Amino acid sequence: MSTLKEKIEKHLLEVQKPSRYIGGEVGSVIKDKSKVDVRFAFCFPDTYDIGMSHLGMKILYSLTNERENYWCERCFAPGLDFEEIMRKNDIPLYALESLDPIKDFDFIGFTLQYELSYTGVLNMLDLAGIPVFSKDRTEELTQIVVAGGPCVCNPEPLADFFDIFILGEGEEVNLELMDLYWEMKQQGAKRMDFLRRAAQIPGVYVPQFYHFFYKEDGTIDRMEVTDGAPEKVTKRIIKDFDKVYYPDNFVVPFTEIVHDRVSVEVLRGCIRGCRFCQAGFIYRPFREKSTDTIVSETKSLCENTGYDEVSLASLSTSDHSEIDPMLTRLIKYTEGERVNLSLPSLRVDNFSESLLNKIKKVRKSGLTFAAEGGTQRLRDVINKNVSEEEIMSTCRIAFEGGYSAVKLYFMMGLPTETDEDIVGIAELAQRIIDLFYSIEDRPRGKGVQISISCATFVPKPFTPFQFEPQDTREMIEHKQKLLMDSVTSRKVKVSYHDPNVSMLEVILAKGDRRLCKSIYTAWKKGCKFDSWSEHFRFNLWLEAFAECGIDPAFYANRRFDYDEILPWDHLDYLVSKEFFIRENKTAHKAVTTPNCRERCSGCGVNKAVGRDCF
Amino acid sequence: MIRVRATFEKKGRAKYISHLDLNRCMLRTFRRSRLPIWYTEGFNPHPYYSFALALSLGYESSCEILDFNLTDDDISMEQIRDQLNAVMPEGMSIVSVALQEQKITAIAKAKYEFSLKTEDVDGLFEAVCQLTAAPEILIEKKTKKGMKTVDIKPDLEVLSCVKTDDSVDMTMYLPAGTQTNYNPSLFIEALKRVTEIPFESENIRRTAILCADNTLFK
Repeated sequence: MSTLKEKIEKHLLEVQKPSRYIGGEVGSVIKDKSKVDVRFAFCFPDTYDIGMSHLGMKILYSLTNERENYWCERCFAPGLDFEEIMRKNDIPLYALESLDPIKDFDFIGFTLQYELSYTGVLNMLDLAGIPVFSKDRTEELTQIVVAGGPCVCNPEPLADFFDIFILGEGEEVNLELMDLYWEMKQQGAKRMDFLRRAAQIPGVYVPQFYHFFYKEDGTIDRMEVTDGAPEKVTKRIIKDFDKVYYPDNFVVPFTEIVHDRVSVEVLRGCIRGCRFCQAGFIYRPFREKSTDTIVSETKSLCENTGYDEVSLASLSTSDHSEIDPMLTRLIKYTEGERVNLSLPSLRVDNFSESLLNKIKKVRKSGLTFAAEGGTQRLRDVINKNVSEEEIMSTCRIAFEGGYSAVKLYFMMGLPTETDEDIVGIAELAQRIIDLFYSIEDRPRGKGVQISISCATFVPKPFTPFQFEPQDTREMIEHKQKLLMDSVTSRKVKVSYHDPNVSMLEVILAKGDRRLCKSIYTAWKKGCKFDSWSEHFRFNLWLEAFAECGIDPAFYANRRFDYDEILPWDHLDYLVSKEFFIRENKTAHKAVTTPNCRERCSGCGVNKAVGRDCF
Repeated sequence: MIRVRATFEKKGRAKYISHLDLNRCMLRTFRRSRLPIWYTEGFNPHPYYSFALALSLGYESSCEILDFNLTDDDISMEQIRDQLNAVMPEGMSIVSVALQEQKITAIAKAKYEFSLKTEDVDGLFEAVCQLTAAPEILIEKKTKKGMKTVDIKPDLEVLSCVKTDDSVDMTMYLPAGTQTNYNPSLFIEALKRVTEIPFESENIRRTAILCADNTLFK
């Protein structure tokens, strides 16, 4: 009988980029499995190239493997070519370190980064030979299917498929869960015994202990909790962020991946409170690492991986309280070592000249600004506290500094949006062009280039806009046409997202557990890699919803009442529902809320962690 | 500055690293090793290193050649080898390091070994003998200008062809270097066209890089 490795290798040269499927990368952790007590398969429900770019996996991978008797391995969705070969030749989904099938692992853990990866989860479980529905899994204590990541703040559409959801930051709770597992495994406990005990760990949500009852109008009537599980599950946070575990090495892939560089996390949370932004609320409170920590993590990662590029990861790097001295020290190191430093996530309003000069020293690429709304009124509604003056002065600094291409991000379909706001996008672009030509020492030789990228607004749980409906496709198409008609200059390029993708996103983001059947049905019909435009098949999704008696508009285009029980109300992300209601009302009055550093807006997170944020 | 030539193996899982990926992989390996590699001068300085020959995806090798320059003249060859081996990926290791003697253009051929797995060893052996004895071996080769028919017979030197229990094992020289490059898959394709006996090629590996007079390239 041939081993799984031989079976894989027999076909590996038939597929695209085979090095994605065989492991052996520098930095990957190999252990003697006879000396390992608990095995964890960290699964990313998309391909290697995307999953390997995910920072959370790198952190939790290294952290788990620090424990001698635990072994965390990586697992990704195979490309379609390899999936076909796997299915034809009975190759079960396996982990890249040991090349062992993940169905034999103690934990199969998925990270849920975006809603459109949900079918990928089902497909991977199926490829692994693990029952897709939680209720169909063995009674024995093994094969515990868990998930974490931002989408877990409303995991209800996946409730039937997972044994456990882990809320919030995983650095501590993952190990607590594995410790409990190992303790109970030695006692010969069964799966249900373990799940009942696990539900007592803060941050651990076992969906099968929560039962929902619905009203005739389709909204939630009440929820019942069984098996002694808590009424509310509260997300976990790391108290001392500067001291939190951070890896000193990454797995360095052979093939090129999306973010092929060292990432150093500089801060967690965000002070801004943009009302559409889920990340801005679910990662609160704001915590930052000290410059010393950032510099030393940068050094050890660059030295151990051999990468010649490092990027600072955060929601808003320029909000770091020591941004200037931090960059000065980092640039001193990176220049000496011939390392490129890249700085995504900079904000328009505190984009100073000295900051620009620092970036220019690093690399001259395009400038990207997320303006989000075309008029000041709309930017006030969404609390994107950026004024036109600031956009203009930043563009001026950039143009004078030699830049000639500017990329602007907008959203379409925002609450209270009118045609005037859409026309405002085109007008703003035109004023930036006019500004460019008014500058004496503008870059010569080439003209200015403005790229406008328009996404459809997706209201998300745990934001002040969680109650909002999404625009219907007809409304979005009207607005897209209006924008196209309003743009007259050939120096402005406009690109859009497919509104059907955004509609599916909102349904999966705001859905309840009645959607599980639809996701299963859509996957059975062949939906996978929904986030890849070439694989997205909205008609199959519509068929699935129809067959399961789901009205997509109920989730996508309906306003959720303030006093309605939301599918995620039993999950506590430390920011109160009262705050979201208050912010929603303030939004409709087009009144802004200052950032957390200026004034506490009383979201509730300070009470929950027992200290002021600033 | 010294001009260094390292010979390295590429085996096991490392055989799935494509040539393009190998380039990136070596760059990171050099950085991890902290060897004083020489950077090119000019607008966009980058570490200078090059591979003598590309190796097809899926082939193993015990004799790949990597040239690079170091800015420190006093470093010993052993130290270079050890510093690199400490940080090489699984399946790759430096076999030897020496100063460059010959020019890259001196490379003329490479030695390949492989097994042809089959249930009909005698039949396949017969087919191989017939093919190698034929006056010409025409194959379709992809070139930059499209498909081209070439005769590999004049350049093919079969060193051995032996039967085992379940395979025919071959060793051969094929042209390599800056002019003509053939790899064993051309021969295997030609064989597939002249026999109906099912077989699979396995374990293709490059075992030597040679000059025109069959001496090892140094």
